[in-house]
Amino acid sequence: MWHITKRELYNNLNSLRFALTTVLLLALMVTNAVRHTREHSKRVQQYHNAVTESMNRLTAIADDSLYELARQGPGTFYKKPSPLHFCADGGETSLPDRVGSSYDRRRFWRLAYPDANINMMNLGPDVSHIDWTFIIGYILSLIALIFTFDAISGECEHGTLRLTLANAIPRHTVLIGKFLGALISTTIPFMLAMLVNLLILSTSSAVHLNAQAWGRLCIILFIAFLYTCLFLALGLLVSARVQRSAVSLVILLLTWVTFVVFMPSTLASLASGFSSSMARYEYFDRYGQSYHKFRRTWRYAWYQSNDEKMLRTRGEWHTKMAVNEERLNGEYLTFKITQVQRARAITRISPAAFLQHLLEAFAGTGLDRHQQFIENVQRYAREYREFIVDMERGDPESLHIMGVREGMSQKPVSPEAVPKFEDTRNIGKDFNTAAMELLLLTLFVVVLLAGAYLAFVRVEI
Amino acid sequence: MFLTLIRRELLANLMTFRFLVAMVVTLSLVVANTVVLIADYERRLTSYDTAVKQHHQKFLKRASTYSEVEGEILVDRPPNPLSIFNAGLDRRLGNSITASHTFVPTLWDTRSHSADNPFLNLFSSVDLVLIFQVILSLLALLFAHDAIAGEREAGTLRLTMANPVSRPIILLAKYISAMACLILPVVMSLLLALILFSMSGSISLSGDDWLRISGILFTSIIYLSVFYLIGLLISVVTRRTATALMLSMVIWSTLVLIYPSLSVFTVNRLWQTPSQLEAAYREIEQIWEAFEREQTDFLRNDSVDGEDPNFNVPPSGSYGAYQISDPMTLKYFKVETRLWTRIDPDSEPQIPHVKAYFQFSEPRRIRAAEKTWQVRQKTLDYVYVRKANVAKNMMRLSPAAMYDFATEAWAGTDFYGIEDFITTVQQYRQTIIDYFYDKEAFSSRKWFSIDQGKVDWSDLPQFSYHRADVSSNVKHASGDIACLFLINVVLFMTTFLIFVRQEV
Repeated sequence: MWHITKRELYNNLNSLRFALTTVLLLALMVTNAVRHTREHSKRVQQYHNAVTESMNRLTAIADDSLYELARQGPGTFYKKPSPLHFCADGGETSLPDRVGSSYDRRRFWRLAYPDANINMMNLGPDVSHIDWTFIIGYILSLIALIFTFDAISGECEHGTLRLTLANAIPRHTVLIGKFLGALISTTIPFMLAMLVNLLILSTSSAVHLNAQAWGRLCIILFIAFLYTCLFLALGLLVSARVQRSAVSLVILLLTWVTFVVFMPSTLASLASGFSSSMARYEYFDRYGQSYHKFRRTWRYAWYQSNDEKMLRTRGEWHTKMAVNEERLNGEYLTFKITQVQRARAITRISPAAFLQHLLEAFAGTGLDRHQQFIENVQRYAREYREFIVDMERGDPESLHIMGVREGMSQKPVSPEAVPKFEDTRNIGKDFNTAAMELLLLTLFVVVLLAGAYLAFVRVEI
Repeated sequence: MFLTLIRRELLANLMTFRFLVAMVVTLSLVVANTVVLIADYERRLTSYDTAVKQHHQKFLKRASTYSEVEGEILVDRPPNPLSIFNAGLDRRLGNSITASHTFVPTLWDTRSHSADNPFLNLFSSVDLVLIFQVILSLLALLFAHDAIAGEREAGTLRLTMANPVSRPIILLAKYISAMACLILPVVMSLLLALILFSMSGSISLSGDDWLRISGILFTSIIYLSVFYLIGLLISVVTRRTATALMLSMVIWSTLVLIYPSLSVFTVNRLWQTPSQLEAAYREIEQIWEAFEREQTDFLRNDSVDGEDPNFNVPPSGSYGAYQISDPMTLKYFKVETRLWTRIDPDSEPQIPHVKAYFQFSEPRRIRAAEKTWQVRQKTLDYVYVRKANVAKNMMRLSPAAMYDFATEAWAGTDFYGIEDFITTVQQYRQTIIDYFYDKEAFSSRKWFSIDQGKVDWSDLPQFSYHRADVSSNVKHASGDIACLFLINVVLFMTTFLIFVRQEV
């Protein structure tokens, strides 16, 4: 078996395709690294500036009074840019990078989720980003097919397969040998290009990859490895079934184009038609209805008298109104995101979409990450409200009526005591959500390899 | 002899397995995608219709004085049925825009229809042109890679040459027959798509649209010819079919998949112009500061004491004065709205002053808006449009990109197609202003108050948009088509020269 592997390897290493693929992958990986080093530092800078500004604002409010802290809220939350952005872009330009909290003169703060951007700044052509998802999903899979399409059919044509089999070598050994040979010869240019990529990234001062990021990178590499195996197995399967290598290439290329290039987008637009999301005017209708309901229930709240009962009514109105509106905002967002998530679930028929989801999950970009960010913000918002209630209880001079200036503590709060927002990501959780997909990917590889084996055993030479 | 050669080549191409597979894959992809795209188009059309209705209702409900009309006249861009062929910017850009006298609308002021879900933009869109661009170019290369190299390996080329047939004839016969085989799937998919169109019923194509579709067909043929000739050139140059195949694959993936992304990256890196935006923003701020000064001067110098823009009329109803600004798109304007529900008899003497105030300020507001637009247009064109054009020009090194741009221009989903709509909205804004002048709205009582009844909007001119005729499509597509044609000629000449001088 090792002989066959070695022979395959020598054959491949000397071939034109090996040289061409190495050049191609190197060019792509270097571009990717250069782009990331330039853009990442800008993104991090922006994020830090925004966060500092938000913190300063919070400190200023805390110095004023607890009431102001309760009314104006914690300000805007920013999504922390992922250092692994180069692995998967995840459509970050169209996803909002923040969640705001809005308030006005009377009403208390509540979370407001910005819509996805329609990017007016980009009138240029719509092209895919050169991230690892593109390099692995499109290019590496194509390379895998190019290395395997003639593995069996080519030898069949030349008659060398018959010679090999005459040497009393079992067929599965030949198959595994070929598989390993092709695997190593695709992995070499990829590893080379990837090492250059990581070298550029780790030497540049802009990107800091910590231990967790390296761990995530290892998982991403493993996924890339599995994905390559998938296409190698597919190539071997078709190559074994079809006697002529030209035909096998045509079949493989067309399968590749269908599943990798077209399937994800077609399925997505098909699936997004199944469920409709809530339109903005519907949302405003709901909002208006609940507002009027509130007005009717709490109409006494607007008497300008300041006795305690009236204060309580008014306070209740303010607090409940904020909570109600936040709930509506959340529902509206969930409607929209659910529609996209459903469509995404259906695109999983395509291995390229599969890969994209996995890489996004581990790189910490894309829609899943955005949802995680929103969950983090919501958790923090609850924490913040609890903190206000606790502080309020601690002040003996106040009337403990939440929601009105006259009823709440007017003392300044030490800014350190205010809980800090942390946009955390948990590798274990990411792994849990991706585990099913990883298993499926492995299963596909095994099934295709088994298919290739069966096809090869039955082939007549 | 020529005909015999063509027949042989045709049969050789048509009878192959690769042709069959490619045909089946293309047609099934075209059918599947057309169905999806038609459904998507219908959804967008419904969303457009709902939006038009919603906006009209909201307008009638809200705009009870002339000044309250601010931000309430929303016009909508209907989806382009030809976006099924090439989506271009049709889905990506906003499709709803405000027409108001306080600012001149541009492309950057658009927003999306309320029924749309902008999160769906996470998915890249497929269109019919993409299928041709990717699959049929691949098929063209697969046809071409062994056209000469294969025959040379098999020795049949020598046999053919032994007959009294000149080399140009052989080349030409190969070219014509292969092109016939490539045109077949294109024509069949277009026919299938058109059948599906007519079955859906929601898409009505005008005479111009048929011309545009034939333009797309024509461009597709030229595009496929480029790829066939690239393959033929490789086939002539290389000795072995396997090498020709490898080279073709690498060139295909570079031209179709990789190069477009690479080139855009380079442009984005080089093009950074925040300072331009900042300078223009300051200039615009100054325009509006000057406008405000004029307003204050007027208030100070008129016969009423104080600078109160409400002229001491006791408050009733609503009053708004606000400013909208966005440094990234240079959107900047100031608005004043009034909706007084009743006016005390005591305040009646003040009313002529209020009228005079608006008669003074609103024409100046219009002028400030137009000045703003001049600054804005220049800067935004430089920062965003020229950037996009540079990116496009970089991409034009790949014929696949040229094909994309040319068909985009045919379909009218390119930048110019969208801008055409914006120009119509700008004209509509002028109509509204003229309407105001006709009605003497600025100096009328109904500009600010409803105590003597609401404004009757029944004779307000309605917005209507018709796409520019096909000549503008031709104008914008012709450059790329000419380029593709030129590449064809150059490639054919090169292949021919090499082939003629080659030993068999």
